[in-house]
Amino acid sequence: MELRKALYNISALADLGTEITAEKNFQEKLGSLLHVVLGTFLAGKGAIAYREKPECEVAFVARKGFDDLSVADIDLGPLLAAGKNRPYRPAANEALVSAGVEVITPLWDRNDFIGFVLLGRKFTAEQYTEDDLEILGMIAHQIAITLKNHALFHHVTEQLEENRKLYEEMRRIYHDTLQAFAAAIDAKDVYTRHHSQRVAKYSVAIARELGWSEHDIEGIYVAGFLHDVGKLVISNEILNKKTPFTPDEMKEIRRHSLLSYKIISQIKFPWKDVEKIVKHHHERLDGTGYPDALSKEDLSEGAKILTLADSFDAMTSERAYRKKMDVRKALAELKNCLHKQFDDKILLAFCKVLDKEIRGELPEPDILPHIDRGSDLSVISTLLEGLIEELSGDNREG
Amino acid sequence: MTTSPFQVTSRLVKDVAIVYPRGYLNNLSGEGLVNECGKHARAGMKKIVVNFRETDLINSIGISFLLNIMEDLQTAGGTLCFTEMKKVHLDTFEMLGLTKYFLFFPDEQATLQALRTQGG
Repeated sequence: MELRKALYNISALADLGTEITAEKNFQEKLGSLLHVVLGTFLAGKGAIAYREKPECEVAFVARKGFDDLSVADIDLGPLLAAGKNRPYRPAANEALVSAGVEVITPLWDRNDFIGFVLLGRKFTAEQYTEDDLEILGMIAHQIAITLKNHALFHHVTEQLEENRKLYEEMRRIYHDTLQAFAAAIDAKDVYTRHHSQRVAKYSVAIARELGWSEHDIEGIYVAGFLHDVGKLVISNEILNKKTPFTPDEMKEIRRHSLLSYKIISQIKFPWKDVEKIVKHHHERLDGTGYPDALSKEDLSEGAKILTLADSFDAMTSERAYRKKMDVRKALAELKNCLHKQFDDKILLAFCKVLDKEIRGELPEPDILPHIDRGSDLSVISTLLEGLIEELSGDNREG
Repeated sequence: MTTSPFQVTSRLVKDVAIVYPRGYLNNLSGEGLVNECGKHARAGMKKIVVNFRETDLINSIGISFLLNIMEDLQTAGGTLCFTEMKKVHLDTFEMLGLTKYFLFFPDEQATLQALRTQGG
């Protein structure tokens, strides 16, 4: 019989381990732990009380019976003075005795008081033996560790949430700063208001159509916002000039992409090649662009995207020296400059984006509403379909 | 025959409710068993038989729930019978001193026969 009893106690400890490691929510886990204790000692009533942090109140977190007992009625003094995880009979505590509590066990993990376990009389009306109290002490220690781990996990989760909020806040500030920068750039030229923002949006739409990852898309978004930051250094007189530029003025204007590169090279971005994308947004596939006269093979996809987005927005925006183009003319111009200035793969992706916008397949139309409010969309749509078919053929052949 | 969640079923044979817990008798099935027995007790059934033929294991949590049923039946003045219980489980109940709180019979037929003899 002693052996059988010992085996039962060992299997109860195994049950405890199973429940502690089970993938359950905290409340379910506590309920199961309480039932392990009740089943092990045949107690009809029991409760687990828990204090998550030293500054928190102790509260019942699982109980069977003891419904009228409140933690506030329990004198915690003797409990704190008792041995750590050592069960005892609370003879001097009136509230506990009158509620039918026969054994109370303070829960400690190292030097942290975590709560306590209450047990009522045994169903068989037998007294708790010294062996029972010994085993209960072991179980209590395991419960204390479980509760402490929960508190730690909860603390880490809270910290993570706090960090996530902080990160989101920093991200928001970062994007606000970017927008402020872009506004400062665009404000230099009354004709390029919101240009940087639009170039960023068009670039994102093309990159997404090309299947870029969200991380890389954010990189090109930033590149779009900052591609003209070098213009801050160029004089307003030149930027806002209404007559054609002289060769010297043109030379000065062309400095802006290299200046943008130099400025943003000082920033350590988490995205790859933002500064190079910015530097090369006036390069051309035929090698006649600036500042490095690179050719198609040397240009990154990001640079090709930004080049097209920048040019398209320039064409469809009013300038001091010309009216803005409508979408049809701009698309014809892009096509005209294919292989010389623009990459066919990028133009195909851009046409698909515009086509999707017209078809209402994009959650937020971002391009056409700005440029052609009064256009006949069916005409643009036909034009786009023809371009997509033609460029798809080119890409298949390529 | 009615089926409740947690894989516990039951049927009525005249004034006797026979309850069949399935699988491991732990927290989920234990709760289902308590609910099923409670449902019959609330309906006025005083004789409840728990047939353990499809119960492989009863752990400490299961014992806690069975104590619950024993206590409820005791309070209601009813009779609780266990049947088709594996010897290892019966030995555990005996070691724990719980066998005086229920009647045990090897099979359902013997249980129903004994409850008929008991009458009322």
